[in-house]
Amino acid sequence: MDSRQWTRRDLLCASGAVGVGALAGCSGLLEEQSTGRNPPVVEDRPDDIYLPSHAEGMAMIGMQEVGGRMVALMYSFAHRFWTVTGEVTELVQPGGDVHLMASIWDPDSGTVLPVDSGLGFELTKGDWSAERAPWTMLSQNMGFHYGDNMALDGEGTYTVTVETGAVGTERVGDFADSFGESATAEFAWEYTEAARDEIAFRTLDDAGDLGALDPMEMDMPLSVAPSAEELPGQVFGSAEAGDVEFVAAVASAEDGDALVVSPRTRYNGYVLPAMSLSATLDRDGSTAFDDILTAAVGPDLGYHYRASVDAVESGDELRITTDSGPQVSRHEGYETAFTDVPDVSITAD
Amino acid sequence: MGPTDRGVSRRDFVKAAVAIGGTSALSACLDREGAPDLDTGPEDLSALPARQHAWNESLSRDEAGNVTAARHHVLLLLDYAGEGTPTDGDSDTVEQALRGLERAYPRSNEGLLFTVGYTPAYFDRYDASLSDSVDLPRPEALAPFEDPEPDEPDALVHLASDYGQVVLGAEEALLGERETLNDVDVSSFGDVFERADRRTGFTGAGLPAANQDVDGIPDSEPVDENAPLFMGFTSGFEANQASEDRVTIREGPFAEGTTAHLSKIQLHLDQWYDQDSRYQRVGKMFSPAHADEEKVEGVGNNLGTDSGLDGDQDRTLEDARTKGMVGHTQKSARARDENDSPLILRRDFDSTDGGEAGLHFLSLQRTVADFVETREAMNGTDVADQSAVGTRNNNGILQYMSVDRRGNYLVPPRDHRSLPRPDP
Repeated sequence: MDSRQWTRRDLLCASGAVGVGALAGCSGLLEEQSTGRNPPVVEDRPDDIYLPSHAEGMAMIGMQEVGGRMVALMYSFAHRFWTVTGEVTELVQPGGDVHLMASIWDPDSGTVLPVDSGLGFELTKGDWSAERAPWTMLSQNMGFHYGDNMALDGEGTYTVTVETGAVGTERVGDFADSFGESATAEFAWEYTEAARDEIAFRTLDDAGDLGALDPMEMDMPLSVAPSAEELPGQVFGSAEAGDVEFVAAVASAEDGDALVVSPRTRYNGYVLPAMSLSATLDRDGSTAFDDILTAAVGPDLGYHYRASVDAVESGDELRITTDSGPQVSRHEGYETAFTDVPDVSITAD
Repeated sequence: MGPTDRGVSRRDFVKAAVAIGGTSALSACLDREGAPDLDTGPEDLSALPARQHAWNESLSRDEAGNVTAARHHVLLLLDYAGEGTPTDGDSDTVEQALRGLERAYPRSNEGLLFTVGYTPAYFDRYDASLSDSVDLPRPEALAPFEDPEPDEPDALVHLASDYGQVVLGAEEALLGERETLNDVDVSSFGDVFERADRRTGFTGAGLPAANQDVDGIPDSEPVDENAPLFMGFTSGFEANQASEDRVTIREGPFAEGTTAHLSKIQLHLDQWYDQDSRYQRVGKMFSPAHADEEKVEGVGNNLGTDSGLDGDQDRTLEDARTKGMVGHTQKSARARDENDSPLILRRDFDSTDGGEAGLHFLSLQRTVADFVETREAMNGTDVADQSAVGTRNNNGILQYMSVDRRGNYLVPPRDHRSLPRPDP
């Protein structure tokens, strides 16, 4: 994907945000509208990925290329989500006027940068202003993004500044020299309740069943992990536990070989950021590696976890321990999953 | 009757008056606080301590034994009004004005406490360099996610008292708006200084709750009546504060002085109060163990003279990897010297300047490097790099604040407090 492609889409969506008709281009769901937009959470939720009570669309406020990265700003109506600390999830009730979201990606590779950056929003309207360090979030139809419910100062024109922060996660490959500085994108946003209430919403008949909403058809890349076939380096196995699929590979790095573990969600294959993973590599009954894995992001590997290793040999047994699941807030349907992920073992083929 | 005992509306009013300043605010303060029957300061000033920052001895202590900060504060950021380097006459003018304050009020929380500091920009007026015994760099960003404006006036005066009218009166006297304080004749800075900025604030149980109707705090009035600060927990535990000795410069012409770092911080507490649970607030302020074991009652006065870390600072990375969050106190406590002493002495206070919930984070330390080291420990970037804890998310309280301005100051010993040369 070349950058011009995203730039064209940028223009499409920037104009799309103006009118409701054009909104269709940027909204994945245009089905029945409803005012009761936070139906009850389904009863007896499974401890797995499940279909939520409802699905909702979103509206694009705009996209910009700044500091070598694309920044998209979107919103939906305020809705519930869950914050995560360790294995504790805390329900955040819908509050405020909107759910404001941002996504950031590399325009050349389309890799979403689901990274620690300390991203910040600043909204101003006349004398009114609000600042927020939004939560990192995972939703079934959007994957990884930044977002939070926010109270506004009524209808009108807002200036929304997105301070991306510097990408704090280790950057590898062609990302090594990119995204080390923060960048600022500024959006003008004409907010009306009527436009907000046009955003798609539908309840699900099969809410509570195992499964996930399909990814939205978006005019921007979603945080989908590279498939095992696409993953650079030598993929030597995969395993699934707790609705997480772990793909393991050996990739060449500047200082030798790197063990690469790329966890992704069951069903939609989204990357799972902000996990604490550790691993051991057993070879013929002795331990060839035993340490934590650290997060990294690259244009081809996407967001992954890695460590330097001397080598991975056929027959080696890789054991991956999830010390904590993805510490990102969850939209409905993901909040019970990934909190207690069992260890997995992969024997190198 | 102390200034704390007469109810919220009065306190609220006095805080507002301090924030507004000026003669009408002062008279309003007098109406509300009454005119406390304060002694004057000493006639003979020779017994005053060499250290401007030697306040602890004259501050009160709480039941547990922690030093209690004075309740009302004014910060005056001052530009030298003349050209080039100050004259001896300018220094005399400043010194006389400061001595006036010392004669007017006792040096205590019920009277008046103050310090005067100078920026690197001030010392740049001179050809001579600051002694190597002083570490005073220009301010800079101290985290990858902040972009503060540097504060580079010439001088900073910090005025503190339990009485709003005392700090307001002292400010007016220094700026030439009144000639007596507490029935003592005083003089002003005259035309030596111009005011570049004015910041105000408060700390102490009741004041944050009474002043929470500002941007950055939800409308639900969530701030606990017993909280000394907007975030709802007590701070300034004896064991978490460096001693005045620890922050004092030991050698050179500015021995017995210290350095001050002042940052202007905006607080964004909507998430903190509306979205985080108490479990998360306690975990993020102190440590996950504090949350798991419910160590903190109310605002945390039960903790006594230390924050009850119990070695939690050594488990910071482990907590980050298994608990998904780390505590501000836990992280910051990693910045200690070889004697297990903290490196900085916090004299920070909350603010409603500009109608926004804020914190004027003023800390004293022997070297600015001590502050930088403490801030780096608080950033927890090392922890974020090796765990699921984010750069700001779930990383102490970083998510709930943004640093707008930073400034560094040398607070000379009292002998050199009035427009000192870099090599006095």
